[in-house]
Amino acid sequence: MVDSKKLQDKARETLVRDDVRRLIGWKRGTYGYEAAPTVIKDASDAEALIFDPTCVQNLASFLTLEEKLPVPRGAEPDTRKVAVMVKGCDSRAIVQHLLEKAYGRDDVIVLGIPCRGVIDRRKAEKLFGDVATPVEVKEEGDKLVLEIGGEVKTVDRKDILMDKCLRCRYPNPLVSDFLLDEEVEKFADDDFADVDEFEKQSPADKWAHWEEQFGKCIRCYSCRNVCPMCYCVECIVTKLRPQWTRRSTDISENTAYHIQRAWHLAGRCIECMECQRVCPVDIPIMTLNRKLTRDVKELFDYEPGVDTEAQPLLASYNPQDPEEYIM
Amino acid sequence: MANYKFAKEKLAKVLSGLSDFKVLAPALTGDVARFQEVTDPAQVTLDYGNSNVPPKELMFPETETLFKYRLGQDEVEASVPSPEEKRVIFGIRPCDAQAYSIVDNLFRWDFNDPYFLNRRESTALVGLACADPCANCFCPSVGGGPASEEYLDAVMFDLGDAVYLKTLTDKGEGVAEALSGVLEAAGGDEKKAADKQAKDALGKIQRSIDTAGIPEKLPSLYDHPFWEQFSDRCLGCGICTYLCPTCHCFDIQDESEAFDARRARMWDTCMFAEYSLHTSGHNPRPTRKERTRNRISHKYSYFPEKFDVIACVGCGRCINYCPVNIDILDILEKSKEAEAKEAKTA
Repeated sequence: MVDSKKLQDKARETLVRDDVRRLIGWKRGTYGYEAAPTVIKDASDAEALIFDPTCVQNLASFLTLEEKLPVPRGAEPDTRKVAVMVKGCDSRAIVQHLLEKAYGRDDVIVLGIPCRGVIDRRKAEKLFGDVATPVEVKEEGDKLVLEIGGEVKTVDRKDILMDKCLRCRYPNPLVSDFLLDEEVEKFADDDFADVDEFEKQSPADKWAHWEEQFGKCIRCYSCRNVCPMCYCVECIVTKLRPQWTRRSTDISENTAYHIQRAWHLAGRCIECMECQRVCPVDIPIMTLNRKLTRDVKELFDYEPGVDTEAQPLLASYNPQDPEEYIM
Repeated sequence: MANYKFAKEKLAKVLSGLSDFKVLAPALTGDVARFQEVTDPAQVTLDYGNSNVPPKELMFPETETLFKYRLGQDEVEASVPSPEEKRVIFGIRPCDAQAYSIVDNLFRWDFNDPYFLNRRESTALVGLACADPCANCFCPSVGGGPASEEYLDAVMFDLGDAVYLKTLTDKGEGVAEALSGVLEAAGGDEKKAADKQAKDALGKIQRSIDTAGIPEKLPSLYDHPFWEQFSDRCLGCGICTYLCPTCHCFDIQDESEAFDARRARMWDTCMFAEYSLHTSGHNPRPTRKERTRNRISHKYSYFPEKFDVIACVGCGRCINYCPVNIDILDILEKSKEAEAKEAKTA
């Protein structure tokens, strides 16, 4: 576990630098099993920073979410760096951002955190109920010890961690300027068993499944907005002139939205699972993304967000690429 | 009005007894509770906290056709719901019913909106009192309560094996009449148990806010930097507003397939950039700071100024589902602490 004093000291040290504009970290949430992202501009606020298994959010998203107003005539744009804390999985978003040239390597300071998994709020609420006060969590071997409203509960990590953690291949940040803790040993692997299982269904059953799931969608776009890889300046589904996707909700438009998004993430999704975590109506969005992730891996031996020297998949060409679908 | 009861195992019988009505009730898909038209009574659950999507969609659907027309022709065919269609919302929470009464103000304001108001008129609200409020519920702070009867036509209390049903209006009595063969008369025991449950439920509410002074103060914080503490981490998604039972903003769009066209309205949200985008390209709310400020100020200042009621019922959905822990109670508390003077120096 990261020592919070060390983490706060590093944050302070970073924030007092003249070339740093802001730092994105986590602080204790106001209730329940999830921390809150926080954007800090003043070193005196660093005392609020934490890291523990409640720090589920992928903060790399905030690097591309920041809205910048036009610079007034005669003024210089603020080119100072942004510091960001990332877990292993989150760091893949930064690698992918860098190879897509979303920003330059010198624009960010990456504070890496080796991570042994974060809590799935849905699993926690099923086990221990919802709670109006913030929960604190400590790691003890293969157990997590939760302090919930004054009561202490112990639970096996495998029963409460996010699914992505149970198949985590990158617990250590793949890009970082400073590591805030010792690297941890890889503790899981991914065999895409969930994708295999889903694919066993007949096309009719699969369509029935997606019809039910997309039918629930209220098009709040939380999956898109939380996604570190959805950072188009203007998203095609909200573009008004011309309008490619209707604003009305029905199975056709909802399906169009989710399929467009899945395709736009092919070879780009870094599997942080934020889209599925935030969905207010529990649409299993990662099933689509993971199917594409596996296809990309099998067809092109490509994995997004792991190598800053790589080319983006869709910007690269190899004469050996399979081309069965080309007539 | 009268007191009734039915055995909980007879829930399906109660629902099928309402065959003269279009029955809308909470159903579970996986863990997601949402109101839908009952086609199979077995889908209905009374065992839910607050539905993920509020039942505002039953009066104000997410997408609604206003009228249909053919391109190149002058006639339009209105799609106004009939005020005669008998509907009952079975198992609505008191807060969600209160939300309807708040939104009534808007849809009755400068124009009587027949789409919303006809549905309101034709719908009986059979409520379900909360025995176990959710962690982020704060209804008593904004004029409600886990067993508040004020905005309902009838209220049910889940007493374990039996459900106690108390009618509160003629409309509610009309529903009970349709169930005359199914409901039994309830006595003092059920009433006592329901009163105890209501009292206990009130004691289980853990979060609260003293709203005194907030509507008056918020405008003075218009330029205050404190909004940034929250807007800096806002994703700009529509969760807080789409899941809010009192948020009522909509967009109007024309859609066509070949020559068949319709004018439809659909939920819109002040948290989206395009909500306030002008045709010129100018956006008076250029960042999430202005949008966050608008959401809170509209609920706790502009709406009460115009209609004399806070546009929040304390259901806790915006807190529960916000992916980044933007907590309306936290914002309101911090707004009380914020010094209005600072606004000028910022």
